[in-house]
Amino acid sequence: MISVNEIIAGAKKREVVAIFLFALIACAAMFLDKAHGVPIYVASIVAIAIVAAFIKSDSIRVAVLIAIVLLSAFSIASNGVKFGIDFSGGVRIPVLLEKPVDSVTMETMVNTIKTRAASFGLSEVKVRPVGDSEIYVEMPQSSPQLISDVENLLSRQGVYRGIVDGKVAVKGEEIYSGTIMQIPSQYLQGADWGVSFTVTQAGAQRFADVAKGKGNYPLFMFLDRPSDSIIIMTEKQLMADATSKTRVVPIAKARALQIATSALALDGDNISLYLEEDISQNFSLTPADNKTRAIVSANSSLIAKLRSAGFIVVEKTDADMTPKYIVSPENPASDAVTVWASVGLMSAPRLVPSVTEGIPNFSYTINGPAEGATAALRAADALKKERELDSLLKGGALPVQISLGSKTIIPAPLGEEFLRLSLIGLVFALLAISLMVSLRYRHLQIIVPMISISLAELIILLAILGSFTIDLAGMAGILAAIGVGVDAQIVVTDELLKKEGEMQKRLEKAFAIITTSVTVAVVAMIPLMFFSGLVEIIGFATATVLGSLLGLFISRPAYGVIAEHLFE
Amino acid sequence: MSLTMPNPYSGNYKLLVLAPLFLVLVSLFFIPQIKLGVDFKGGTLVTMQTNQSVDADALKAALTQKGYTVSSVKSLSNPKGYEVEVEIERDDSLTRAETLKSSFFSSIDEVSRLESDVLVTNASADSVAKYAAARQAIDKISDELFTIAASQQKASAINGSNDLKTEVSAAYKQITDGYSSSLSSTLSALVNYDSASFNEVSASLSAKFIDQAFMVVVYSTILVSVVVFIIFRTFVPSLAVLLGAGCDVLIALGAMGLFGIPLTLASFAALIMLVGFSLDTDVLLTMRVIKRKEGSARDRAYDAMKTGMTMSMALMLAFVCLFILASVTHINTYYEISTVALAGLLGDLIATWLLNGVIVLWYLEHGGQTGDSQKPFLSSIFSS
Repeated sequence: MISVNEIIAGAKKREVVAIFLFALIACAAMFLDKAHGVPIYVASIVAIAIVAAFIKSDSIRVAVLIAIVLLSAFSIASNGVKFGIDFSGGVRIPVLLEKPVDSVTMETMVNTIKTRAASFGLSEVKVRPVGDSEIYVEMPQSSPQLISDVENLLSRQGVYRGIVDGKVAVKGEEIYSGTIMQIPSQYLQGADWGVSFTVTQAGAQRFADVAKGKGNYPLFMFLDRPSDSIIIMTEKQLMADATSKTRVVPIAKARALQIATSALALDGDNISLYLEEDISQNFSLTPADNKTRAIVSANSSLIAKLRSAGFIVVEKTDADMTPKYIVSPENPASDAVTVWASVGLMSAPRLVPSVTEGIPNFSYTINGPAEGATAALRAADALKKERELDSLLKGGALPVQISLGSKTIIPAPLGEEFLRLSLIGLVFALLAISLMVSLRYRHLQIIVPMISISLAELIILLAILGSFTIDLAGMAGILAAIGVGVDAQIVVTDELLKKEGEMQKRLEKAFAIITTSVTVAVVAMIPLMFFSGLVEIIGFATATVLGSLLGLFISRPAYGVIAEHLFE
Repeated sequence: MSLTMPNPYSGNYKLLVLAPLFLVLVSLFFIPQIKLGVDFKGGTLVTMQTNQSVDADALKAALTQKGYTVSSVKSLSNPKGYEVEVEIERDDSLTRAETLKSSFFSSIDEVSRLESDVLVTNASADSVAKYAAARQAIDKISDELFTIAASQQKASAINGSNDLKTEVSAAYKQITDGYSSSLSSTLSALVNYDSASFNEVSASLSAKFIDQAFMVVVYSTILVSVVVFIIFRTFVPSLAVLLGAGCDVLIALGAMGLFGIPLTLASFAALIMLVGFSLDTDVLLTMRVIKRKEGSARDRAYDAMKTGMTMSMALMLAFVCLFILASVTHINTYYEISTVALAGLLGDLIATWLLNGVIVLWYLEHGGQTGDSQKPFLSSIFSS
């Protein structure tokens, strides 16, 4: 048996102390910076594992193992374990892309859906990419109204409006979507990027009338511009970009207010702008009708007052509330807000005087400069801007055709019951396997380490998978992984119990077998995990693969020590 | 718990092969009877939570009378009362509408470009003719969709392609919404449920699942075969290992046909996992027998069998727990994974010890080489 002295001697090693110190610091970091708890956990596990790979001493390996288990247990306590809607209740709608897309396009798609969800006031909707051809849209509640809102949002296009000086100059439905095209670089004439499009007869006439004499005015391009709304912002939000450090000459408050107000103008449907500081003392706002919306930042102190006054409150993040300005001293008419997410203002190109002479014209181009330090970055930025504009003109259409997958609805109480029973199932599986191992080996020196290793694997597995999301298939995988993990130990134990040959050699032979079978098992699962996009079962594949790997990497150091002390 | 089973390899072990061969033949008979689940077949799976038991046959008859093609109706008890599960086959008109919609949207951009050409070229004869031809094709698609949606519209009466797009989108939405809402109102009239969840898998989605699943099978097979051949570097043992795994999957598939376990994404994942599990014991056996020298080959095989049986039992215990959990909760994912895994693990016992074992022993006793002179390929990477 391992004597107390040996443990003390092992614990006194400098490396062991260092590892535990590191684990302690990582725990503290997780506790203090809860927002980044998961990345901290994952990074520290990876760091410890890498260090362990270079260390051959058994006592240090065991220390690493204990440190990882402690870190994982702490992560479960501090970061919690995230469960999918199968267990927490809610709705999931998978959005299937017609074809796999690259990461830039995927980001555009996720952001487009997010933006559109936010413009509908559906801020609790979660949008996340899954693989390269699927996006999950999830909501924590399952009210039929919310579901149909989101389905609507995904299946219906947004409304594009181009507004010049308070009048609608371009309507999305008057643009021929098939003609929206990125301009090849040889025709750009000095600009970094450009998009061309053609409008209908009615559209051409509308633009000619509205834009007449408005040379150098901005064309405010909105996606799903809120109607019948007011916006309430803080002075800090109004001035954040106006006084930003990158600006050579800061914009004065009065001018910023003027520019912002003009961006919100539309004949008959102005969005009135109020500063929180001005109205909080003497609150007297009343809604125009019972559908009037008040757009306000989520942490505003006025939300309760607005609600009781009868407004429908639409909460936005600080970043969404902050307008971005563009000003030019030589041409004040073109000063504009270029981006203002909370009202759906996506871009504000300047009208070239030649298109403002009042003559109907069918084809238009929008172009501009790209940003970036190197040519490659500028090219990437140009492409990004072209795609954004392309999607905006199509009414927030996604770059790739989508279809809605099978939606899953789980009522919250049922989900909780499933979770409770599944956790009981986990405990039972562990108990049943412990019992079997006990009956088979009948020696406490063998049984206790085996069960503790299984328990350690379970804790690590729950912490790692729980850092992401555990769904039904993932839970089934965790249960299977308990069996998978113990299998590796059975191979080693049986090999060590044989009396012939040198202990170290037998250990090596046993690990040759485990390494081979783990390799094969992992390889069999790789296509399913990484290339199939069958996200419904990726949780299961991940859990079983992690189970096999943990079986290998944890049994190894543990049995190094056990073999030395128990079998000789 | 000492295994007191006699060494099956002591006598004329070659006859043992008959057992797995027989099982595989029986499995081949049952495999065509495997039912495709909603994931692969498409359709609608409705799960309703009720507080009283429902007569499944009566519900099925009532739904059939309403014009639905019902694949199955199940009524089970679960912790919150009763769960009624209705699987309805994909409606033909819905499938047709989906096809029409996707062909409409794949050509509408081109049509809108042609329409704009008419404007830009000031209605040149060429552009007008091209647009008219394109419109005619797309109008036909639209009209069929309008008919399915029971709408009186005629595509030719809609002027611009942009308006046509709006109308077609609306018609398609009306078709799908109409189907879901009529199904849910029919069901709520028949069953007094507390909550219901609708799992709809469209034809294109199920086609995509099938494609991806097929791809996974092909790539997994190739990868696993390559890895096994690299590890063993001798033909017969490698083949024996792969044969063992292949038999195992066949037996599991046969069990699915026999017991009516549908092929869904979950059972598919379990099948792929079985490849890994069954290779576990195959690798153990083959490495112990081929790469070692102590004792006789038959003793080594018997020894490996004792370890392998313990391993399989541990895994089976885990899946028995999952199966019990499935019977309590009626979660299909649990049920499908656990039954497929249990069937496969049972099949694995036979495939590994009676097929793979026999082949490996036969190979050794007819001139095959043993010895661990060639160190296992991967262990050198991990060894300390």
